[in-house]
Amino acid sequence: MLIDKKRVKRNKALDKFFRGFFMAMAILSSSFIVIIVLFVCAKGISPFLPGYEYGQVDLISFLTGSIYRQDQGIYGVGFIIINTLISAFLALVISFPLSVLTALFIAKIAPKKLSAAMQSVVELLAAVPSVVYGVFASGVITGVVEWIASLFGITTFGGSSLLAVVLLLAIMIFPTLTSMSITAIRAVDPNLEQASLALGATKTQTNFKICLTAAKSGIFAGAILGLGRAYGEATAVAMVAGNKLFGPTFNPFDITRTLTSTMLAGLKETTGLDYDIRFSVGLVLIVVIFFSNWILNMVKKRIGRNSVA
Amino acid sequence: METCFDVKNIDLFYGDKQALKDVNMEIYKNRVTAFIGPSGCGKSTFIRCLNRMNDLIEGCKVSGEIIKDGLDIYSPKQDIVDLRTRVGMVFQKPNPFPMSIYDNIAYGPRCQGLKDKKKLDEIVTTSLKQVALYDEVADRLGDSAIGLSGGQQQRLCIARCIAMSPEVILMDEPTSALDPISTSKIEDLCLELKKDYTIVIVTHNMQQAARISDYTAFFLLGEVVEMDETDTIFSHPKDKRTENYITGRFG
Amino acid sequence: MNRLVKDNILKGITYIASALSVIVLAAILWYLVSNGLSLISSDLIVGDYYATTENAAISNDYIYDESAIGEYTGEGYYSAKWGIALEDITTAHNDEEISVVYVDPNSPFMHMNSLVSGEDGMALSLTEGSSIQNIYYLDEAGETVFLSRVKMADAQNTIAVLDANATGIVSINYESIGGGIRGSIFATLYLIGISLLISLPIGISSAIYLHEYASKNKINSLIRQGIDTLTGVPSIVYGLMGVTVLFPVTQLAGATSTSILLGGLTLAIMLLPTIIRSTEEALIVVPQSLRDGSLSLGATKSQTIFKVVLPCAVNGILTGVLLGIGRVIGESAALVYTTSTVINDNPTILSQGTSLSLMIWSIMSGEQPNYELASAISLIILVIVFAINFIVKIIGKRLAKSFV
Repeated sequence: MLIDKKRVKRNKALDKFFRGFFMAMAILSSSFIVIIVLFVCAKGISPFLPGYEYGQVDLISFLTGSIYRQDQGIYGVGFIIINTLISAFLALVISFPLSVLTALFIAKIAPKKLSAAMQSVVELLAAVPSVVYGVFASGVITGVVEWIASLFGITTFGGSSLLAVVLLLAIMIFPTLTSMSITAIRAVDPNLEQASLALGATKTQTNFKICLTAAKSGIFAGAILGLGRAYGEATAVAMVAGNKLFGPTFNPFDITRTLTSTMLAGLKETTGLDYDIRFSVGLVLIVVIFFSNWILNMVKKRIGRNSVA
Repeated sequence: METCFDVKNIDLFYGDKQALKDVNMEIYKNRVTAFIGPSGCGKSTFIRCLNRMNDLIEGCKVSGEIIKDGLDIYSPKQDIVDLRTRVGMVFQKPNPFPMSIYDNIAYGPRCQGLKDKKKLDEIVTTSLKQVALYDEVADRLGDSAIGLSGGQQQRLCIARCIAMSPEVILMDEPTSALDPISTSKIEDLCLELKKDYTIVIVTHNMQQAARISDYTAFFLLGEVVEMDETDTIFSHPKDKRTENYITGRFG
Repeated sequence: MNRLVKDNILKGITYIASALSVIVLAAILWYLVSNGLSLISSDLIVGDYYATTENAAISNDYIYDESAIGEYTGEGYYSAKWGIALEDITTAHNDEEISVVYVDPNSPFMHMNSLVSGEDGMALSLTEGSSIQNIYYLDEAGETVFLSRVKMADAQNTIAVLDANATGIVSINYESIGGGIRGSIFATLYLIGISLLISLPIGISSAIYLHEYASKNKINSLIRQGIDTLTGVPSIVYGLMGVTVLFPVTQLAGATSTSILLGGLTLAIMLLPTIIRSTEEALIVVPQSLRDGSLSLGATKSQTIFKVVLPCAVNGILTGVLLGIGRVIGESAALVYTTSTVINDNPTILSQGTSLSLMIWSIMSGEQPNYELASAISLIILVIVFAINFIVKIIGKRLAKSFV
C-alpha cells in the first residue's frame, strides 16, 4: 500500500480548504452586484435626506425638474430621463431592422465566405472601444448631422445634437443586436425550415417568414441587451450630446443631455453636492435600466410564446 | 474462497428513476467476475457503486450495504479517497490525461504524496511491464500519452491503475472502443492480472465473459437475474431470461 | 415570376443592410487613419504629453573643441561647428517650430546645466525633437548676443547665424515637444496588471466552483444570477461603485486621492463576468472521463482540478485574459471617477493618471479637442484590440478541436 496516512489527512484538509475557498470566491463575485446597488443607492439617496451637509435637495423637484444647472445649484433630471429614453429608443428603432437583416444575411443568405467575412466585420465593430466611437462621432457623425441640418436650413451646435447621439448609439448597439440575432436564427430547428420548403415556400420566404418568426424571442433578447447598452453608454455619448441645460429635447438637431453625459459633465471636485448628485443620477440610471428590462422581459414572454429560440 | 465485496440489498435512484433494484451478490478475491446484460440494464451503474464513482452524479441516491473488509463502503466512516486507491477503475473509453506517459502513471502515487524519483521510476517501469506495454514505449516515456494508439492507451490506463497497487480493478467495458487485436491483448492481460488482483469487468460481449471470467452475473432492468460460475451460466442457466439472452434472442 | 422578383428584392435588402455595417467600419478606419496615422511615430509613443521648457547653460567644465565634432549626413540643416542639426516643423497644435533632429555627442549642447531655479544645476543635454526658443552666444568680440526666436526665423537661418557669428555658446532655451503618450501607456499597463492580478484568481475560482462543485440549488442559482447581472451594469456605474466602495481599500495602501490602483481594482470587478464565462466555457469542454480517471486513482477533487482539469482549460483562461486586456484598454467611463482625467507623464500605481482610452476622453472633452492626437491613439488602441480579437478567434478554433 502506498498510502501515507498523514499525507491523506493533509490532502483531505486541503481539499476541504479549496472547496471552501472556491465557494467563497464565487460568493464574493456575485456579491459585487449587491455592493454596487447598495452603495450607489446609499450615496445617491443622501442628498435628499434631511440633514444633508450641503443642503437637502427636494426629491420630487429632482425627479420632475426640467432644468439642470450645476452652476446655479438647480438639479432636475426629469427631462434628462426622457432624453435618455428617447435617444436609446430611437437608436434601437434605427439599429434593430438593420441588424436583424444583417443577421439573416450572415446566418442564412450570404455565401459561406462572405458570411464569415461579414461576421468578422460585426465582431470588429463589437470590439471597437466606446471612446473610439466617440472620436468617430465627434469627427464624422457631427459633420453628417451638420450637413443634413444645412439641407433644412438649420444651424446646429457644431453637429452635437440628439440626432448625432441617436446615430452614434445605433452604430454602437448594432454589433450586440446582430450577434444575438445570428445566434437566435442559427438555433432555429432545421425541421421547421424543411417543412416550410416542403410546402412550396421559396428559400427566401422561409428565411423571412419561418426563421425570423421562430427566432423572435432570441432577437428580442438582443434588443433588450442593446437598449441596456444604449442607456448606459457614457463617454462616447457625452462627446456629442452637447449637454443642454433644460429640456426635454425633441428636435433632432438640438443639443441634448442624457443621464450618463450629465454624470460626466464638468467633473472637477470630488466632494460637495455637485459630486454627490452624480450618484443620484447614477441611481436613476440603474432604476431606468431595471424598469426598462423588467417591462421588456414581460413583453418578451408574451411574444415568445410561440417561438422556439 | 475469500469474499472481496459483499453486496446487500443495493437500491439506486437517479432522481425518481430507479436504476438498481435490490442487488445482492458476493464478489470473490483473485477471481474475474463479469457483469453481462443488455445496454441500460444497470451493470455499469452497479460497477460504479463499488468505488463510489456514482457519488459524482447529481441526484444519485444509494441505499443498502456493500461490505468490504468488514466495513460498509457507504458508511460515513469510509474514506472515499482511501477506497478509490484500493479499488481502481478502467473506463470504457481510454482516458489518458493529456500529459506524458510517465506522468500519467506517476499521477496516482504523486497525488498520495510520493516524490521519491527512484521509487516513481520503479513503479512506472513495473506497471508498464505488467501490462506488456513497457517494450513498446520504453524509449518515449516523456512523450504525450495522447499519441498512443487506442489499445495502447487502454493498457496505459490499466497500468496507471496498477501503479496504485489496488486490491481490485474495476473494468467498465474496457474493450468496447478497441479493435480485435487490442481486445485480445487486454483479455490476456486480465487472465494474467487475476493472480494479483480481484477483477470485476462489465462487458456487452458474451464471448468475452465466457473467455475470461470465473463468475458471471446477468443484469436485466436493474436487477441481477442470475449469478453463478461462468461455466454454469453459459451451459445450464437456471432462469429462462438468462437463457434467452445468452442464446441471442434479445440484447 | 412575381414571387422571384419579391424574393430578390428581399435578398437585396439584406445585402444593403450588411453593406451599411461594412461602410461604418470602413468610415471609422478611414477617419482614424487619415487624421491620426501621420502622428504615429516613436516620439509619440515615448514622449511626454506636457511640453516642458528648459533653460540651460553650457557646463563650466566643458571645453569646446571644433575638431572633435563629427559629420552628420541626415535630414535638416547641420552645423559642423556646433554639432547640431535643425529642421522646421509644424506641431500638432499648428505651431511653426525649429526642431532639433540631431546633436553630436561632443557638441556643447550635450553638456549643459539647468538654469531653472530649484533644479540645482542638474545636468542636461539637448534631446532630439526639442524645439529651440532662443540662444545666447558669444560673438567675435566676446560679447554675449541674444538670438531670439524671431531673429532665428527658421532652421536654415539659425544654423547660418551660429556658423558665421558665434565663437561660443552661453545658454539655450528650448521646449520638449509634448503630445506624447508614454505616461498613458504605462498607466494602461498598470491597469491591466492590477485588474488581472485581482480578477483572475477570483474569477477562475468562481468558475471552478460554479462548474465543478455547485449542485443545482437555490443558493447556487442565486450566485450565478448575481454574476450574470454584473454583465449588464453600465461601466460608469462601476466607476461610482469604485470610488465609494474601493477608495477606502486603496487608502490602506497609501492612496490619498483617486488613483490608478483604484481604477485597476474597479476594472477587476468589471472583468469578473468575462473571466468567469471564458473559464467556464473551457471547463465545459474538458471531458468528464478525465475527471473520473483522476478520481478513480484516489486523487482528491482539488488535486483533480489543479492537476488535470485546469491544465486542460488553460486555453479558455488565456481567452479570458486576452478579452480582459482588451476591455481594460478600451474602458473609459469607469475610469473617469476612479483614476481621474488628469494626464500624467510619470504615473505610479498610487498616482492619478489616464489610460490610453481615458486620455482620448481627456483631450476630446477639453476646451480645444485635439482630433489628430485622439485619432492617433484610437488607431493604436484599435490595432491592439483587433489583434486580441484575432488571437482569441484562433484559440477558440483550437479549443473546439482539442478534445474531439
